[in-house]
Amino acid sequence: MSRRVSFGFWAPVAALLVLATPAWAQKSADQVAVEAAKKHSGATLNVIWPAGLGALGQKNYAAPLFKQLTGVTVNIIEAPPAQVYVKTVAEHRAGTAAYDVVSVQPAWLADEAEAGILAPLDKWVDQYGFRQSLRDIEPAYRDNWMTVKGKIMAIPDDGDVILLFYRKDLFNDAANKSAFKAKYGYDLAVPTTWEQFGQIGQFFTDKYAPQLYGAAIIHDAASMQYFFQERFRNAGGRFFDVASMKSQINNEAGVKVASQMQSEAKFMPPGSENWNPVNVLTAWLAGKVAMMTWWPPPGRWSEGYGTNEEALKWVPESKVKGKVGYALPPGGRPELALGWCLGVSTHSKKQELAYLYIQWVNSEKISLERVQLPYTLRDPFRANHFTSAEYAARWPGAKDYLDILKKAAQVGMLDLSVRNTFQYQDSLGKAMQRLMAGENPKQVMDDTAADWDKITQRTGVDLQRATYQDWAAKPNAYPR
Amino acid sequence: MCGPADPAGAGPGPAGVRAARGAFAERHFRYVALSPAVLLLLLIGAFPVGYNLVLSFQRQTMFSTDTSFAGLVNYRELLADARFWQSIGHTVVIAAVALPLQLGLGLAMAQLFAGDLPGRRLFTALLLLPVVVSPIVAGAAWRLFLDNAYGPVNQIIGWFAGRPVKLLWTVSEHLVYPTVILVEVWQHTPFVFLLCLAAILAVDKNQVEAAQIDGASGWVIFRRVVLPAIAPVVSMVMLIRFVDIMRIFDMVLALTEGGPGRRTETLSLYTYVLGFQDFSLSYTGAVAFVTIALMSTVLWLILGRLEGGR
Repeated sequence: MSRRVSFGFWAPVAALLVLATPAWAQKSADQVAVEAAKKHSGATLNVIWPAGLGALGQKNYAAPLFKQLTGVTVNIIEAPPAQVYVKTVAEHRAGTAAYDVVSVQPAWLADEAEAGILAPLDKWVDQYGFRQSLRDIEPAYRDNWMTVKGKIMAIPDDGDVILLFYRKDLFNDAANKSAFKAKYGYDLAVPTTWEQFGQIGQFFTDKYAPQLYGAAIIHDAASMQYFFQERFRNAGGRFFDVASMKSQINNEAGVKVASQMQSEAKFMPPGSENWNPVNVLTAWLAGKVAMMTWWPPPGRWSEGYGTNEEALKWVPESKVKGKVGYALPPGGRPELALGWCLGVSTHSKKQELAYLYIQWVNSEKISLERVQLPYTLRDPFRANHFTSAEYAARWPGAKDYLDILKKAAQVGMLDLSVRNTFQYQDSLGKAMQRLMAGENPKQVMDDTAADWDKITQRTGVDLQRATYQDWAAKPNAYPR
Repeated sequence: MCGPADPAGAGPGPAGVRAARGAFAERHFRYVALSPAVLLLLLIGAFPVGYNLVLSFQRQTMFSTDTSFAGLVNYRELLADARFWQSIGHTVVIAAVALPLQLGLGLAMAQLFAGDLPGRRLFTALLLLPVVVSPIVAGAAWRLFLDNAYGPVNQIIGWFAGRPVKLLWTVSEHLVYPTVILVEVWQHTPFVFLLCLAAILAVDKNQVEAAQIDGASGWVIFRRVVLPAIAPVVSMVMLIRFVDIMRIFDMVLALTEGGPGRRTETLSLYTYVLGFQDFSLSYTGAVAFVTIALMSTVLWLILGRLEGGR
């Protein structure tokens, strides 16, 4: 009886709730965005996007599909990655509506939000029922890359993180194992400290060079500064002393990391002191190095996934197929380096449509398609990406690849993001160049710390302290 | 004094007034005709300088559009900005080495080509190719040539050395200046050569023949006859090249990006970084204005010396 009463009471309530629920609650985020965007059919959205492979995911897949579904043209305006920020700021200063959707690196988020470049997205997130879907984004990206002072200013679009790739065949080779143990007194295994990385790298170089070298690391200024950020914090370093806001990158940890990074070049391929990402990737795929740190895409390309695509014809044929292991870099807390989010320009005349496009491309369904495009340079960042059975079946080791990506995202550390981040990054990048040119690490880091202090002074010490404290309080700013 | 009956019609009568007006118009017509173009040029040239000057007394940055008067704050900061003075030093080093090299090579080639060299036209055309290449393309191309992994330069040196050579042309602090200067000399020596060749070909042949009859050697003829004759042209060529090198930007950007570290950061490159990467707008205005003032002073002094030497 009571059951009947209960059912009799709740059934109509439930029915009323269902009827009262907004239409979007019954549809997926991509469907909601498409329905709403159809009202703008015939319009054109201008989107600034990092040039190259990343843009192909938009040009070849997302933009044509959105046009087909909504009648809205998406015009992808490419710019070299480092110039995306420069162009975005320049257009904003000029007051143009050149871009409706803006690609933002999380490290620039504070700058761009404070400069008024980005429009808050909260009202549209609620209006189009996207908030629940956003909870599906991996917390490291969701909780750190989206908001400034509690407002959603951008939506994560790429799960960038640095991984260690290693040659399983070399690490599992019995002769290598015994020789290594005899020389260093511990088992040959994936390095968990940078000291081990150095010894293992030297070991392979001593044994195999010039056919193969122990490791290769990207040494261009723009990339290498991320590696310093990662290693410095893994070594216990903190970027600033909060009380004085003096830079701490020249402390003991900073100089030690700088010295290590400089000395590691000795067991890397000759002339690799200025290798860019493509140089390192080429050496890796050619089977010329035993270890490499890189962003996630080589994990796919090493196995030949999608390398027959026209866009990836430039990728050398992999000679390491089936031999690649994936791991967290030594230190265990990888850098969530670079990364991309999407925001809406405050100068855009089509802000709502711009938001709808962002919701659509980042919806569970469309984003899962995009991260599986072999050429997009877009890496998993949502729960359904990491658990996708379709993705896990892409190549024999894909499940391991997704697992390590998820783990890396959970423990990864954020790029430093304060006011004028670009200037700090540029200064640190120049320091890395000087290290590779053979200059004294202590001198280099002292000069760079002085440079950072000048930037802080120019920015305003109190203002920068507040921004830094806000950033440092994030769960993924420093190892905990 | 002219009366109405002045047959010349130059008096105060209508005919005289017309004549006076005609003479005035004739005297000043060139100024009237030129004034729109001159005013336009002044406007185009003066506006950015004036705007820069105004900007340099403010505190505009990426975050702040504060246009209130900030006094000399940017100029005080500039005086203490080691990077600014270093960038001037880097630029001067490039000019001090590249200019004499360009002059020496350009003059030598011009003298060589002024004779009856077989295939002179073909070689002249080939030599001029670097000049037509955009500096940023030249920088990027040389960066590839000198790449230690894929560039042909190290490979060729390796063939001669009999072993692999991995010279880090754009990374090593010892090699980076020779590299920048090499590319600068490669690209712009043909310009010096071309103008010097034209000047040498215009030297009075009679003077050269007279010197030859007097038994002067080739070197003496060049030094005593040719060089004095072409000196005004050479001076102007050097002045143009000096100004160009002091503005050197795109080639360095593509070749070294001002690195390693900031070792090859030139004045223009630093100004670009300040304005378009750091968005320190007012400070960039101060740097630009001081640069204009410095360069104008140097040019004024050089032009004064050139004028005095005539």
